[in-house]
Amino acid sequence: MSARPATGLLPRLRVWPRRAASDAMLIAGLAMAGLLAVLTLLFGLNPPESAYTGNLMSRFQSPSLGGHVFGTDQLGRSLGARLAAGMPWSLGIALVAAIIALSIGTVMGLIAAWLPGWPRRVIRTVVDTVIAFPSLVIAVTVIALLGRGFWPLAVTLGLATWPIAARVVYAEAMSIVKRDYVVAAVLAGVGPVKVLATHVLPALRPTLLTMFAFTFADMLIAESALSFLGLGVPLSAPSWGNMLAESREHLVAAPWMMLVPAGAIVFAVVALNLIGDGIAASARKRGRAIG
Amino acid sequence: MTGAAAIRAALVRRGTELAVLLFAISTVLFFLLRLSGDPAAVLAGDEANPETVALISARYGLDQPLIVQYWRYMASLVTLDFGESLRANQAALGLVLERLGSTLLLACLALAITAAISVPLGAWLGFRPDANARKATNAVVFVLQGVPGYIVGLLLIQLFVVEFRLLPSIGNQGPSSWILPALTLASFLVPKMVRVVAANVSEAMREDYIRTARATGAGEGEILMNHALPNALLGATALIGTQFAFLMSGSLITEVIFAWPGFGALLVDAVDQLDFPVVQAAVFVIAVLVALVNALTDILFSLLDPRLREQGR
Repeated sequence: MSARPATGLLPRLRVWPRRAASDAMLIAGLAMAGLLAVLTLLFGLNPPESAYTGNLMSRFQSPSLGGHVFGTDQLGRSLGARLAAGMPWSLGIALVAAIIALSIGTVMGLIAAWLPGWPRRVIRTVVDTVIAFPSLVIAVTVIALLGRGFWPLAVTLGLATWPIAARVVYAEAMSIVKRDYVVAAVLAGVGPVKVLATHVLPALRPTLLTMFAFTFADMLIAESALSFLGLGVPLSAPSWGNMLAESREHLVAAPWMMLVPAGAIVFAVVALNLIGDGIAASARKRGRAIG
Repeated sequence: MTGAAAIRAALVRRGTELAVLLFAISTVLFFLLRLSGDPAAVLAGDEANPETVALISARYGLDQPLIVQYWRYMASLVTLDFGESLRANQAALGLVLERLGSTLLLACLALAITAAISVPLGAWLGFRPDANARKATNAVVFVLQGVPGYIVGLLLIQLFVVEFRLLPSIGNQGPSSWILPALTLASFLVPKMVRVVAANVSEAMREDYIRTARATGAGEGEILMNHALPNALLGATALIGTQFAFLMSGSLITEVIFAWPGFGALLVDAVDQLDFPVVQAAVFVIAVLVALVNALTDILFSLLDPRLREQGR
């Protein structure tokens, strides 16, 4: 079973990262993610004025250390400020979507592992069916009905993604529920909810942490893809996908308008992938195979 | 399990999944459309006047009780009647099927490019466990995995269309206009497939039969080509089904970026314009296509893998 949520069936490359590299990856990933979190809290939640009000005198300025570090767009708005203002949208939606997907997925995976018979069959059928279907098509269709905005987008992405988490949790939990200490707890008369919460769930922690990082990254990509298609957050919001969509019309005049949000997305996704791979590798080091 | 039984099992399994999926999607769409307000108003669009809304309401039977509506709706879906497009005066299904060829062309090109890049690269990565070049390649693959396909598409346009003015970037105007969209769509899959082939090859290299082959004096190249790679590719074949679904997601974006006349771009347009008959027809066609590819992969896999052929599972 794979730890890579987006694809479900793909095995992670086991021979890499190596042990020595795993800690470095985790640290680098955490540092990059920490930087994003700090920037979001400092600037993202209270973005500078220049994110929304432009100055036509200074439109299409290329990035420079003396002026606007990230350059300006077609209305003379600072791309750096817009990047910051987009953080709560892009990172926030991805975070909420990942939490929704993992919460539902964990509960469903545990139920399927615990209850043989029809609950398992139903959950497995739903999971297999949804995973086999293009998730972006589901998201696009649901958004047509729910409308745009932070919550519709986060909920839609979460609901389209939970089966992937459920499948991983199910596979992992199936081996955990057979362990002696779980069997002993059941025999001692501990109720199923308590057994799952106190004995099975803690054993799933490295898996869940790994999956959280990868799901977060995938949701970030999905959110910006939807915004890029014009089906994501409201067009006035400077989410990273919206910035990319706007940049398409100015590729000749201002290529940095595309490169800046693209770089931000890649930076965040690489950070999260580093964290995910780092956790998976260090869990393997301790003898717990995830990948 | 014999070949025929395996094929039947695969068809039954995928057929059931398809039926469940179509039923679920249609039901969800039906109720979401009604939960989110007056469907006649949604269908009529933002600027419609009350008369238009009433007309549409009567035309689609939206004044009937919910259960009657649901029954009629399901019955019309079973007969593949999705209704007419609300924007173009054409049957929604026909509109989608017209564009099937373009999307499939792009998907096939992308799969071919993916295979051409990821098989040799993955085989090399998995086969030579200790080269520095390998570490560097892995790092590059790792970063590329973090670059979403639509960014690759924009970068390709920036490079080959804006800077060098080498290739067209809009629509389907013959083979030279296929290159950039196909590369973009392939970029959704390549990093993953490289990692999968590499992992599979390096796993295969640790198997007993490789040691046996070495002991009989087979050269390294022979071991890779005759023993490790075929097994690794078998594993990769099984993934084509799942990856095809992913490819369809990617083609939505790729087709929009390059104004490619496929049904992905059609679906995005239809969603944007709230053209629900077309949305439903597109989702239906995509679901059938994905199920078909999955069934074919299952069959191919059970025919290719001698272990499945002999033992069954």
